[in-house]
Amino acid sequence: MLIVSSIITGLGLGSMYGLLALGFYITYSVSQTVNFAQGSSMMLGAVVCYSFAVTLGWPLTLAILVALLVCAMWGWVVERFVVRPFASRGSNAWLMATVAAGIVLENVVLFTYGKEPRSLPSPLAQEPILIGELGVYPLQLLIPIVGLAIACGLHIVSRRTKLGKAQLAVVQNPDAARLLGIDVRKAVVGAFIVSTVFAGIAGILIAPLFNVASDMGTLFGIKAFAVAIIGGIMSPWGVMIAGLAYGVVEALTTSILGSVYTHIVTFGLVIVVLAVMPNGLFGRAEVKKV
Amino acid sequence: MIAAKFIVSLLPGVAALGYASIANSYELYILATVGFYAMVGVGLNVLLGLTGQVSLGHVGFYAIGAYAVAILTTNAGVDFWPALLFAIALTGAVGVLLSIPALRVTGPYLAMITIAFAFIVEHGAVEWRELTGGANGMMNIPPVSLAGAEFSELATVYLIIALTGLTLFLYWRFADSAWGLAMRAVRDSEVAGQSLGLNPVMIRATAFGLSAMAAGLAGGLFSPITAFVSPSSFSFFQSILFLLVVIIGGSGTVFGPLLGAVIVVLLPEFLSDFAEYRLLFFGGLLLVVMWLAPAGIVGAISSWFKEDNPDATQPSDADAQDIEAFLNRKDAATTLTVKDLGISFGGVQAVKNFDIAAVPEKITSIIGPNGAGKTTALNMIGGFYKPGSGTIRLGSVELAGKPSHMVSRAGVSRTYQTTQLFGDLTVLENLLVALGQGHLGGVRSALTHVRNNAEACAQCHKLLAFVGYKGGAQTLAKHLAHVDKRLVEIARALATQPRVLLLDEPAAGLSSQDTELLIPLLRKIAKAGVIVILVEHDMGLVMKVSDHIVVLDAGMPIAEGKPAAIRKNNKVREAYLGTGEVIDRARKKALGKIDSIMLDAINLGAGYGAAPVLQDVNVSVGKGEFVAVLGANGAGKSTLMRALSGLHRPIEGKVLFIGEEIATWHAHRVARGGLVLVPEGRQVFPELSVVDNIGLGAYCRDDFNDGVEIEEMLNRFPALHRRKGSRAGLLSGGEQQMLAIARGLVARPKVIMLDEPSLGLAPALIEDLFSVLAELRDEGRTILLVDQMAALALSVADRGYVLESGHIVHEGSADGLKNDKTVEQAYLGGGS
Repeated sequence: MLIVSSIITGLGLGSMYGLLALGFYITYSVSQTVNFAQGSSMMLGAVVCYSFAVTLGWPLTLAILVALLVCAMWGWVVERFVVRPFASRGSNAWLMATVAAGIVLENVVLFTYGKEPRSLPSPLAQEPILIGELGVYPLQLLIPIVGLAIACGLHIVSRRTKLGKAQLAVVQNPDAARLLGIDVRKAVVGAFIVSTVFAGIAGILIAPLFNVASDMGTLFGIKAFAVAIIGGIMSPWGVMIAGLAYGVVEALTTSILGSVYTHIVTFGLVIVVLAVMPNGLFGRAEVKKV
Repeated sequence: MIAAKFIVSLLPGVAALGYASIANSYELYILATVGFYAMVGVGLNVLLGLTGQVSLGHVGFYAIGAYAVAILTTNAGVDFWPALLFAIALTGAVGVLLSIPALRVTGPYLAMITIAFAFIVEHGAVEWRELTGGANGMMNIPPVSLAGAEFSELATVYLIIALTGLTLFLYWRFADSAWGLAMRAVRDSEVAGQSLGLNPVMIRATAFGLSAMAAGLAGGLFSPITAFVSPSSFSFFQSILFLLVVIIGGSGTVFGPLLGAVIVVLLPEFLSDFAEYRLLFFGGLLLVVMWLAPAGIVGAISSWFKEDNPDATQPSDADAQDIEAFLNRKDAATTLTVKDLGISFGGVQAVKNFDIAAVPEKITSIIGPNGAGKTTALNMIGGFYKPGSGTIRLGSVELAGKPSHMVSRAGVSRTYQTTQLFGDLTVLENLLVALGQGHLGGVRSALTHVRNNAEACAQCHKLLAFVGYKGGAQTLAKHLAHVDKRLVEIARALATQPRVLLLDEPAAGLSSQDTELLIPLLRKIAKAGVIVILVEHDMGLVMKVSDHIVVLDAGMPIAEGKPAAIRKNNKVREAYLGTGEVIDRARKKALGKIDSIMLDAINLGAGYGAAPVLQDVNVSVGKGEFVAVLGANGAGKSTLMRALSGLHRPIEGKVLFIGEEIATWHAHRVARGGLVLVPEGRQVFPELSVVDNIGLGAYCRDDFNDGVEIEEMLNRFPALHRRKGSRAGLLSGGEQQMLAIARGLVARPKVIMLDEPSLGLAPALIEDLFSVLAELRDEGRTILLVDQMAALALSVADRGYVLESGHIVHEGSADGLKNDKTVEQAYLGGGS
């Protein structure tokens, strides 16, 4: 029973890790850069949604839309002012710069939103439904479904639509894409926006189950990054599978060994995976050239 | 001057000691904290400043140091000093251990491993209760003591200040030692480091170990002064603060970590009213410093004060003779014998049955058209690629399959197509790194500035004189002019005292005068007893300088012999210029009068960095015309295409497209305007299907009728029709070329440009391809073709230009050019 319940929790959390990690995949594949502060983008989604829905009392759907819009703008800001200035001169300082931007955002939120964690009420997280003897909130079942649906959606958009194919073209060969009239710079901006919006969705989805606070995303973002890396950051499905696996391993470790071992086991596995497979579970090595 | 610098360097230490003597207990603690941050910062500086790697997990080492001392002195009753030494050794060992997975990865992957490490240490400290006291931590850690006498708080802080000073001093000695240089060299160019005998794995592992030891030292001192350790002191966020120390202060500078530590620790004290805004402030500060002063505060300040002595020493000619003796190793009378060498990439045989026997005092050249496998062959000899088959023997020593740093130590040195100097090292340092042949020495060597080795420096100056380098020895390599980069790279390769020197296109990007300078130099090197192997496109140089030539085509040797024989060899001419007999593809209906110019390049100049690749190029294409630009490899054809299509911004001149100036447009805008390039090497999107690839060609068109038009393209290229559903990456070279052309055509370009479409295709496929081009021409399309296969290109073109070394040397009607000797000379050298 305990096992089943932790697997459900694990799949839910795991799909959210996967969703954030998909954000890492999207930006990395077009620009070889990531927003290291994905966790704070996720927090932003949850906080804005809470503020509009609870503090201002707007309808939830509208609040969600506003929150995702804010996330999209934040993605644009990160790309334009924190990543591009460094990436365009070939420096990898974007890594620390995005960390710094995340710290700034978290603290701005801390002083405007407040310190005390709050919980976003959700109609889907009030009455547990019984599966056998196990009580689960409908939201807990919805989260992995939404996560996987978004992953499928991404897959379909990138395979079937003109814009999606253009994005894939940029990933596979930026110069050739330029020669077809595709604006690679816009593609990169677009990738950062999609990436933060995904993080925002994850934040809103988990907000009713956890507390909404300025530091809610920090550890989550780091775990999502671990997921992206062990999944092999260039493989979208690899990233999603790694996310689910990570979530399940984490939940099982917690319920079997106790919560203190969670990070030792999961992060230990991350090191072991990378030591054995430097390109991640589903990644491919790039060919060296001189 | 030196004395003044010395005194200034001591000032912070004196000030700290002075302040400590009057400080209260809290202030002493703050002072100690500055010391800890500075020590960890110095450690991170070894990693970030010297090897260019980021660690987000240094708090883990700091924690291990702190807990090791705490546990040993409290639970095991060990004295402080042995405990501290143990803590340092332990962190060093953990650092090296962690470097094993970390070394195989870089960038975000490395960041992840270090983050994971920090979390494991933090949570391990919580969980391992018997040892660490769990979340409550350990209390009553005894203070520092010596021979039974306990240190007062003040004395401990004095000790911390002294040790901080010592760490800074050690870093200063280390950064410019043979080890420090090697670390910076591997950071700037790993491949070049390997080809000088440096072992990057060992070097990075050492950096990791040393870096961890500094953090361990700081942690070991932290325990006794606070008398209390708990996991909460070692949160992940602490790692970010440590990195902040180095980045704000200035990575790669001696005093950067100290200044960074002062800022990070003291600022919150001064701003105590705003204490809760501390992190906001740090985040903002980090961003501002990274935007405005990427080298950190100390880095920015020292660049203002940089003394302008570009040249302390000018190499003199007098010593050049000594170098011949240096290069002439008595044991050098041995041969490089390569037999039956082969390699394949993803099923494609890049090189096959390659034999070469190169002897000392001779220059052996490997030539062949683009894509023939020359550089691949060189990479196998140099150990960069592991050959699939065959042997490489230097004398009796087998080199095949050895890693490149071992190949280098066996006596094989090389230069690169695009120079691989260590950009942030000076010219002198570039050579000094090489002089050690990969042997870095022990502790003494690690603490001795290489530049103080007068003998080594003199040797480097002589080498620079020998190659004819006239610039400053203290100039940073990245600031050199292109020709100087080439010369310094050759000097650096010679500094390893090689038996074999591999030169990969040393003349690429050089002007003809500069190329002339290479001829006596290469002869001189060979004469000194070195086996010289040259891969080069500049046929003028190859024909003049070579003693023996091996010609490769499509990975296979097709001829070898002396230059004169090679020039006359029919197989070689065919490989370069295409077959003599060409199908007649002349227009059925003569081209009418041209009523408008579609594309006009006027006095176009383009290049990469300092070297101009194109100069004063004038090319025009009339409406409905088929124009070919011919030229050997390396003549600048692809650069011309890149400049016209907007992929590479020209330095001078204009590009007019239907009367509009487009030289400053981005590539995507040029393509939208209707000037479409089918790029060299096909460049299809490998993971997308054939149909999707074609469809993307019409990305900018709103009136694209995909069903009908894609079908039309598939019918035009029947080979694609059969494979329309498969991924483009699985297509053969010929099919991919057809696909790339189809993709270009659906854009409905006003002018279509084709870059080397025949490259790497089998002869039969090339014939098919050119028939397609003739069809397109007869439909009235405007086409600009660049191709190495002169005879073929002229069979379809109306007019042609001949490009040689970046200049248009000839132009005329296709018929006129067919029988023109200057075309052949542009390819195979000779003539005037």
